[in-house]
Amino acid sequence: MELIDRYVHEVGRHLPRKNRADIQVELQSTLADTLEDRVEGEPTQEDVEQLLKEFGSPQQVAASYWPQGQYLIGPSLFPLFRMVLGIVLLVFVIVQLVLFGIALVFNQEVLTFLDVLETFSGMIGSVFTTFGIIVIVFAILQYFEVKPDSEDEEWDPSQLPQIDDEETVSRGGRVAEITFSLVIIAILLFLPDKIGVVLVLNPFTEIILNPVIRTYIPLLIVSILLGVFVDVLLLWRGRWETGTRLAKIGTNLFSIYVLIVLLSGHNAWLAEQGAGGFFSFLEMLDEITISNQESVLIIGMHAFRLAFSIALIVISIETIALVYKLIKSFFVRPTTINLPG
Amino acid sequence: MMTDTAKHEKLTQELRRGILVLAALSQLKSAKYGYALIEELSDKGLEIDQGTLYPLLRRLEDQGLLESEWNVEGSRPRRYYKISQAGEELLQVLTDDWLTLVEVMKKLLLIDKE
Repeated sequence: MELIDRYVHEVGRHLPRKNRADIQVELQSTLADTLEDRVEGEPTQEDVEQLLKEFGSPQQVAASYWPQGQYLIGPSLFPLFRMVLGIVLLVFVIVQLVLFGIALVFNQEVLTFLDVLETFSGMIGSVFTTFGIIVIVFAILQYFEVKPDSEDEEWDPSQLPQIDDEETVSRGGRVAEITFSLVIIAILLFLPDKIGVVLVLNPFTEIILNPVIRTYIPLLIVSILLGVFVDVLLLWRGRWETGTRLAKIGTNLFSIYVLIVLLSGHNAWLAEQGAGGFFSFLEMLDEITISNQESVLIIGMHAFRLAFSIALIVISIETIALVYKLIKSFFVRPTTINLPG
Repeated sequence: MMTDTAKHEKLTQELRRGILVLAALSQLKSAKYGYALIEELSDKGLEIDQGTLYPLLRRLEDQGLLESEWNVEGSRPRRYYKISQAGEELLQVLTDDWLTLVEVMKKLLLIDKE
C-alpha cells in the first residue's frame, strides 16, 4: 500500500491548492475500494501497479481536476495578440534599422564587422524582450478575463462593412505612419544635435544646427505621439467611423497648430537675418558661396520652412477631406444590396 | 494521421462525454460515493473511467447540482454525493431533451438504413 501513498502524494503536488487534501482523501479511499473489490486477500505489488496504471499518471489525473480551458492567452484574445505582436515587432525592427542607418551616416569612424554584429545581436535581444512584454501584457488581460469585444453588446448585422468598403483602415498605411513617427521621435529625443543643415566639405561633414526646432522639441513630440495614438486606435477599430474620424481631426488640428508655431518661428528667425522673403532667398542663391556657414544656414532654414509649409498644406487638405467624409457619413446611408426575386 | 480505430475511439468518447452528466445525476437521487456510483452505472451497462467521474462530480458540485458530505462511519472515509434541488430540476429538463433527441436520432438513423 506504500505505492498508493506515494501515488496519492504525487497527484497532490499537481492538484489545485484549494481542494487538494479533500481530493487526496477521496482518491485514496477510491483506490482502496477498487483494490478490495478486485483482489481477494492481501493485494500484491503487481496488483497495485496494475491498478495505478489504469488510473493514469499522477499529472494526468491531477490535470482533470483543474478547470477546463486554462490559457496563457486564450482563443478570444489570440487573434488580437497575433495582430499586435506582428505590428509591434515590425515597427520595432524597422525603427531600429532606420536609426542604425542614420547613425551609420553620421558616424565618422569606420565600422568594424564586430560593431555590426553587436548591433544586430542587441536588436535580436530586444526583439525577444518586446515579445516577452507583449506576452506578459496579454497574459494579464487573460487572467482578468478581458475580452476584446464586449460580449453583452448585441451585434448589428446592418453595420457589417460593405465588401469593397472604403471605410476599412489600411493596415499597411497606418503601420508605415507609426514607424515613420517613431523614427522622428527617436531623432528628436536622441539625436537633437543632428537636426540642421548637413554641410559636406571634404574631408569633414559639418552639421549646422537648426536653431528654431530645438526650442519646440517637446511640443513636436507631443503632437507626433498623439498621431501615433490615433493610428493605434485606428488599427484597433479597423474602420473609419465617427469616433476615429473625430480623433484624427483633433490630432490633425493640433499638428496644424504646431506647424504654424514652427513656421512663424522660422519666419521670425529669417526676418532677423534680413532674409525673410522667399524672393530675397532666390536672389541670394546666386551670391552664395558654400563655404560661408551663415548663408548655408539661411538656405537651410528656407528649406525647412518650405518643408513645413508643404506639410501644413498636406495636413490641411487631409483634414478638410476628413471633415467632408464625417459630414457625408451622417447623410449617406450605406447602400443596400438588392437581391433578385 | 489518425487510424480508423483512433478516430472511432475519439468520436465515441465525444458522444459519451455529453451523456455522463445526465447519467450521473440520474443515479444520485440517493447519496452514493464515487466508487459505488461507478459500480452501479457499470451494472446497468455504462462504463465510466474513474479518472473522468471524480472530477465530473466535483464540477457538478461546484455548479450547485450536487451536494456532498464525508462519511467516516465505514472502514474508510468516503465522500457521498447526492443530487441537489437545482440538480433535480435540471435533470427533469435534461431528461426531456434527451428523450426528444433519441426520437429524432432514431428517425434519422433508421431511415438512412432502409
